[in-house]
Amino acid sequence: MSDEPPEEVPSAAGEDDGHTVAPGRARRPLAPIHDEPPPPVTSPHRPGDEPGRGRRHLTSQRSVLERRFARLGWAFTWPALLIVLAVTLFPIAFSVAMSLSNVTVSADGFRLSGLTSDHYTLLLRSERWRHALLFTILYTIGTVLTELILGTLIALVLERLGGAGRGWMMALLLLPWAMITVVSAQLWAYMYNGVYGILTSMSDSVAGEPVQFLGTRMPAILSMAVADIWKTTPFVAIIVLAGLMMLPRDVIEAAKVDGADAWTAFWRVRLPLLRPALVIAVLFRILQAFGIFDLPFVLTGGGPGDATESLALLGWQVMFTNLDFGPGAAVAASTAALVLCGCLLFMRVFKARVGEEETGT
Amino acid sequence: MNRIRLTWTHAAALVIAAFVAAPLYWMAVSSLKGVDEIGANPPTLWPEKITFDNYKQAFVDNNFGTYLLNSVLVSVVATAIVLSLSAFAGYALARLPLRGKAPIMVALLMISLFPTIALAAPLFLLMRDIGWLNSYQGLILVYTALNVPFAVWILRNFFLGIPKEMEEVAWVDGASPVRTVWSVILPQARPGMFTAAIFTFTACWTEFLIGLTLNTADRFRTMPVGLALFGSQFTIPYGTIFAAAMVSVLPIALLVLVFRRAVVSGLTAGAVKG
Repeated sequence: MSDEPPEEVPSAAGEDDGHTVAPGRARRPLAPIHDEPPPPVTSPHRPGDEPGRGRRHLTSQRSVLERRFARLGWAFTWPALLIVLAVTLFPIAFSVAMSLSNVTVSADGFRLSGLTSDHYTLLLRSERWRHALLFTILYTIGTVLTELILGTLIALVLERLGGAGRGWMMALLLLPWAMITVVSAQLWAYMYNGVYGILTSMSDSVAGEPVQFLGTRMPAILSMAVADIWKTTPFVAIIVLAGLMMLPRDVIEAAKVDGADAWTAFWRVRLPLLRPALVIAVLFRILQAFGIFDLPFVLTGGGPGDATESLALLGWQVMFTNLDFGPGAAVAASTAALVLCGCLLFMRVFKARVGEEETGT
Repeated sequence: MNRIRLTWTHAAALVIAAFVAAPLYWMAVSSLKGVDEIGANPPTLWPEKITFDNYKQAFVDNNFGTYLLNSVLVSVVATAIVLSLSAFAGYALARLPLRGKAPIMVALLMISLFPTIALAAPLFLLMRDIGWLNSYQGLILVYTALNVPFAVWILRNFFLGIPKEMEEVAWVDGASPVRTVWSVILPQARPGMFTAAIFTFTACWTEFLIGLTLNTADRFRTMPVGLALFGSQFTIPYGTIFAAAMVSVLPIALLVLVFRRAVVSGLTAGAVKG
């Protein structure tokens, strides 16, 4: 019954539930001073001894202090915000400007001139862009769904495992997560290799003839998805596991007492309670998967043909291989816009549901 | 009944472990194989003759030593800067009466998830204009900016969980703000700082797209860029690549294994709590 978080649960758990960031539900500003005047003994510049005057003085001092703390807060925050603004928001704005301008590249640099929507028209007419868009969307949906299911299953197994076994399994799961994506891409490229790859030779002995994993369209897409799922499912599993361990025990006990079998208890009681954790894990993964670049760059180079060419890869190649900065910026900006819309939509749905749960209980 | 269920759980755990570990095993084993054996068909499950030639190839005959040092330098410096900026910002956003905290936090979260491809071209042009292409400071600046948002999130959540009494005493005693944060609050926030450090370091260590865009000169390549661009179109020397990859994976693997509790708490601080 205690509020102590279970063993592996972050010690960072504060009294704040994190939902307070929702706009319009901001935390009440914290005055750093208690309502009762603190014992003045230690303070060198504490006002006079008459109780009445001292109290009035204190309240005016508090608002002064509050303003001072607010100013201090900005002083603490602006260096971090400034660098983020300068290196992320400003370039994004520039990207958008570039995608809407005529870009002329010359020997001494390049110039933006005149407003145009040509780059976007070009995009919409381009078979290659439409294919990359479709591929990225379907790939994101496919891999994230698979990861969600597998990750939840793994988390359930680990939860039952308990003890030292769970600790070791968590450690093992963290390894693919912490690996350089380029490394895992090279590793899978080697295993998929048509001549000496271990998976090729395994498929040979199982099916009687070697599968060319990266040689044709569909197998290449699936092979890339498998490599991706191997690397990122552990992330989902760990988040779900942490969510599982934070569930209140009494709810599950109550379900058991009410005669719910394990299956019903999972679908009806635990899964709904897990939803916030799942939703955030999925949000992180969707955004990552949508910007996928490293894996196709190394594993397939976008091929065969343009089968595994993601939006990010297409944008990069148009910009840095063809040096078409205008259309490339249009690809990049539209990718960013899609991600932003998806993100906002998702957060909206997510917040609505959290609200529902809070009022429902 | 109970016994059977237990063994099923164990069997499932073993299967999961095997799937996760098999590719890692394959990389480790392949890095120890000779040139002929690594291209053998069918492949050998254990090297017939263990050799460290690949490691010599990677670090003596090729430039992976330089790439490794570049990665260490960029990641360590960026992590240090990220931590010092985020500690103060995270503290302010957790405790001080700022207006517009909520929108700032949401904006930071969204920025930390933004696809970096949208930044590649403008950053390339910007860095070219100020002459920071193929430099350390350019990459450090970008990595700092990319990782500040998430670090601020982790630290802010952590600060919220620290009792307020001590710092209030410090304020009342008239300690300067920077001093209060430095000597009263940071010591209590050490686990949170640690988590933020591991996350930032891992992110810098594995970042590829920006590194590929800004630092292509051989002398300034980081490990991921070096690993991706190694070899020609027709022959990919996997032995050398895996030897270098093993060396790049080991430090981060040790870090993550030893401090796995901090990592898990960070994953959940960013995800479950976010």
